Amino acid sequence: MKTAHIWFRVAFSLLIAVATAACGAGKAQQPAASPPATLQSSAAEQSAGQTETAYPTRQVEYIVPYSAGGGVDLVARAAADYLSREWGQPIVVVNKPGGGGTVGAEYALKQAKPDGYTVLAVNVSNTTMLTAGMKRALITSEDQIYTARIGKGTMAFAVKEDAPWNDFHSFSQWAKEHPDQLTWTSVGPAGFSAFAAAQWLDTIKADFSKTRMIVTKGASDSVPKVAGGHAVVAIHTIGEINPMLQAKKVKILAVGGTERSPFLPDVPTAKEQGIDGLNVFWWTGVSFPKGTPEAVIKKWETAVAKMTSDADFVKKLHDLQVEPAYADSARFTADVEKETRYYTDLATKSNIRK
Amino acid sequence: MDTLHLLLSGFAEALTLENVLMAAIGALVGTFVGVLPGLGPTSAIAILLPVTAVLEPTQGIIMLAGIYYGAMYGGSTTAILLNIPGELSSVPTCLDGYPLAKQGKGGPALGISAIGSFVAGTMGVIGLAFFAPVLADQALKFGPPEYLALMVLALTLMVSLSGGSFLKAFMMGAFGYALSLIGLGPSTGVPRFDYGSAKLVGGLDMISIIIGLFAITEVLKGIEEKRVTTVIGKPGSVYPSKADLRESAKPMVRGGLVGFFLGLLPGCSAAITSFLAYDLEKKVSKHPERFGHGAMEGVAAPEAANNATSSAGFIPLFSLGIPSSPPLAILLAGLMIYGLTPGPVLFEQNSGFVWAVIASMFIGNAMLLVLNLPMVWLWVKLTRVPYGIMAPIILIFCTIGAYSVRNSMFDVFVAFLFGGLGYLFSKYKWPVVPLVLCFILGPLLEESLIQTTAMSEQGLAIVLQRPISSVILFAAAGLLVISLLLNRRTQKRVREERERGIDVS
Repeated sequence: MKTAHIWFRVAFSLLIAVATAACGAGKAQQPAASPPATLQSSAAEQSAGQTETAYPTRQVEYIVPYSAGGGVDLVARAAADYLSREWGQPIVVVNKPGGGGTVGAEYALKQAKPDGYTVLAVNVSNTTMLTAGMKRALITSEDQIYTARIGKGTMAFAVKEDAPWNDFHSFSQWAKEHPDQLTWTSVGPAGFSAFAAAQWLDTIKADFSKTRMIVTKGASDSVPKVAGGHAVVAIHTIGEINPMLQAKKVKILAVGGTERSPFLPDVPTAKEQGIDGLNVFWWTGVSFPKGTPEAVIKKWETAVAKMTSDADFVKKLHDLQVEPAYADSARFTADVEKETRYYTDLATKSNIRK
Repeated sequence: MDTLHLLLSGFAEALTLENVLMAAIGALVGTFVGVLPGLGPTSAIAILLPVTAVLEPTQGIIMLAGIYYGAMYGGSTTAILLNIPGELSSVPTCLDGYPLAKQGKGGPALGISAIGSFVAGTMGVIGLAFFAPVLADQALKFGPPEYLALMVLALTLMVSLSGGSFLKAFMMGAFGYALSLIGLGPSTGVPRFDYGSAKLVGGLDMISIIIGLFAITEVLKGIEEKRVTTVIGKPGSVYPSKADLRESAKPMVRGGLVGFFLGLLPGCSAAITSFLAYDLEKKVSKHPERFGHGAMEGVAAPEAANNATSSAGFIPLFSLGIPSSPPLAILLAGLMIYGLTPGPVLFEQNSGFVWAVIASMFIGNAMLLVLNLPMVWLWVKLTRVPYGIMAPIILIFCTIGAYSVRNSMFDVFVAFLFGGLGYLFSKYKWPVVPLVLCFILGPLLEESLIQTTAMSEQGLAIVLQRPISSVILFAAAGLLVISLLLNRRTQKRVREERERGIDVS
C-alpha cells in the first residue's frame, strides 16, 4: 500500500515537471528573441539626451504581422536583439500572422495603447501596396506614424535556367510581342510581384491585361513554379530568389533600381539594358499608432539610425540579402506617401485595385 | 550514392546534441501522453504541436516525429496492458497482447512490441532512402495541374478511408472546407465571411481546431465515462526470452515488409496494414489456434507493420503532401506552421531538412528502445493517475497550445468551441478527420485550381493533357476502388473484434 502511494507521488511529480517544462518551452522563445539585457543602461542614458522621459522602462512588444521565418520577421528579430542590448530592456518579437498582415497591424495600431510599448513591423506589402490594391483597406497610413525605415531589398526578374532569353532587353521585346504567352507568378493579387510586373509592362508598353497572373502563397512557392516551367517569370527580391538561383534552376535577367546590387554584382540593372524607371523595391521598418508620445518616436529614430550603421547588425542584414536603408520619420512618411500615390495610380491603370 | 551522402549528412545533423535531445524529449513526452488511456497518437500530437512551434523547423519536426513514435508506442502499451487501443491500428495488438498480459507476460509483450517497432522502423528508413529520391527527382515537374490532381487524389482517398458512412465523411469534409473559406481568399486576397471583424479576416487557425476536436473532445469523453483505470497484475520483466525472440523474428520482418510497401501507397493507413499483417501471420502460422490467446507473433507482426507504415507514410507526406493517417494529417499541419509545404519541391528546396528528419526518425526509434524498455514500469504506474487530476492538466496544455500559435485569445475560444463540437461529433459517430483534412487541403485545392486555369487558355483541360497529372487522376480512381475494398475488409475485422469486447475509440 505504501509503495503504491510513493509511486503515485513519483508519477504525479513527473507530470507536474512535464507540465512546467512545456510551459517553459512555450516561453522559451522570449529569451531567444531578446537575450537578457546586459548593463548597458548607462550607454542608453547617454544617447537619450537630457530632456527626455525615461523610455523604455519595461518590455516592448515588437509585433510582426507575419509568421516566423520570413524577411520581415528576420529583420525584426535582428533589430529586437540589437535594441534590447542598447536599451537594457527586453524587446520581444511577437508574431501575429494572418489576413495578409492586417491582423497584427490591427492589434498593434488599434487595440494596443499608444504608449510606445507596442511597435509594429511594417513593410511595403502591408502599407503602400495594401492601400493601393484595396479600395477599403482595413489599415491605412492614417492609423500610424511611420517611425523609421530599417532596410530594403532589390527586385530581380527570374526565368527558368534554360529559358531562351539571355538579356532583359530581348525578354521585354518578347513580352511586348506575345503578352498572351507571358505568365508570371505573384504573391497575392496586389502584392510585390504584381506591382513590379505592372510597372515593367507599363514601361515597355506591353498589354498588361493580356498577360496571365498565377497567384501563389509566397516566393518559396512561386520561384519553383518558374524553375519547373509552369510560369515564365517570377519577380521577387534577390533574397527570395537566391535558393533556386544557387541550385541553378533559375537565372536572373535583370535587377531593378539605378545601381547593381552588391549581392549580384554580375547582373546588370534593367536600366543598363535600356529599360529605365523600374524602381519597385521591398523595404521594412517600424510604425507606432497615432498618439504615441513624440519622445518615443525620436528615441526610436536615433536608435535605428545608430543600429543601421552598426557593423554586426549590417552583417546580419547582408546575410538576408537586405541592405540597410535608414530613413527618419519625416522622410520615411514622405516616401510612403509618394509611393502610395504612385502605386494607387498604377493599380488603377492595371485594374488590380479592388 | 548521392542519396547515401544526403542520408549521412542528415544523420550528422540529427546527431547534434540538441537534436538528439529533441528526439528524446519528443519520444518521452509522446509516450507519456500516448500511455494515457484513450489518448492516441492523434490527440498526443494535437496537444503537443503548439509546444514544438516555438522551436526551429528542423528541431520542431524532429521533436514531432519523436512524439509521433512515442505516442504510437504509448498506445501499444495501453493496448497490451489495459486492452484499450488508442487508435484503430493498435486493435490487432490488443488481440494477443492483452491475453499475454493476463498470463503475466505483459512485460515481454511490451519488449517485443518495442523491438518490433525498432526493426520495422529501421527497415522503413532504409526504404525511405531508396524511394524518396525517385519521387523527389520529379519535384519541379509538379506544377499547378499536378497539384490539383494530387489534391483530388488525397481528398477522395481520405474521405473513403475515414471509415463509417461515406455520406457522413463527405458532409464533414464539406463542413471543413466551408470553415477554411473564412478569412482572406488564397488567390483573391479579398476577405470572405469576415462579417466586419478583423479577427475573422485572419481566418480560423487549424491548430486550435485540431486541439479542440481531438484533445478537448477526449477530455470531455473521459469525464463523461468517469474514466478510471485498472491495470491488471504485474507486467513482469520487459526483456523477452530467447524463445520469444526466436518466435517473433520472422513475423517482425514480414510485418515490416507488408507495412512498408503498402504504406507507400498514398492513403493506406496503419490500421489497414496492421490488420493485414496480423491476419497474414495467422495464415502462415502452424498453430493458428494460439492466436487470440496470447501468441507472441500476434504482437510482433502488427506492431512492426504499424511502425513500418508510419515510416513509409512519410514518403507520400513529404513528397506529395498526402497524409495516410490522422496523426500524419496533423503532422502535415505541423509542417505548414513552419511554412514548409510538403510536396516534391520540399526535397528540392529543403533537402537538408528532409534528410535530417528521416535520420532523426531512426534515432527516435532507437531512443524509444533505449528509453522505454527500462521505463515501462513508470508508464504502468502512470495509468493509475486518477482522471480527475489528468483532465485539468490536459486542458491546461490545450489552452496554452491554442493561445501560443498566434498569441491570441480568439484561438483559445475557437479551440473550446470545437472541443464541444467534437464531443457531439464523436457521440453521434461523425468522423472528424475529413473535416480537418479538408480544412487543411481545401485552400490548396482552390489555389491549384485557380492557378491551373490561369496557366493557359484551355483552362482545366490542361490537367488531362499533361502526363503526370492525368496519371495521378487515373491512379486516384484506381486507388479509390482498391482502398474501398481494403477498407471494407478492415471495417469488417474491427466489427468482429468489437463484438469480442474490445473498446475502440
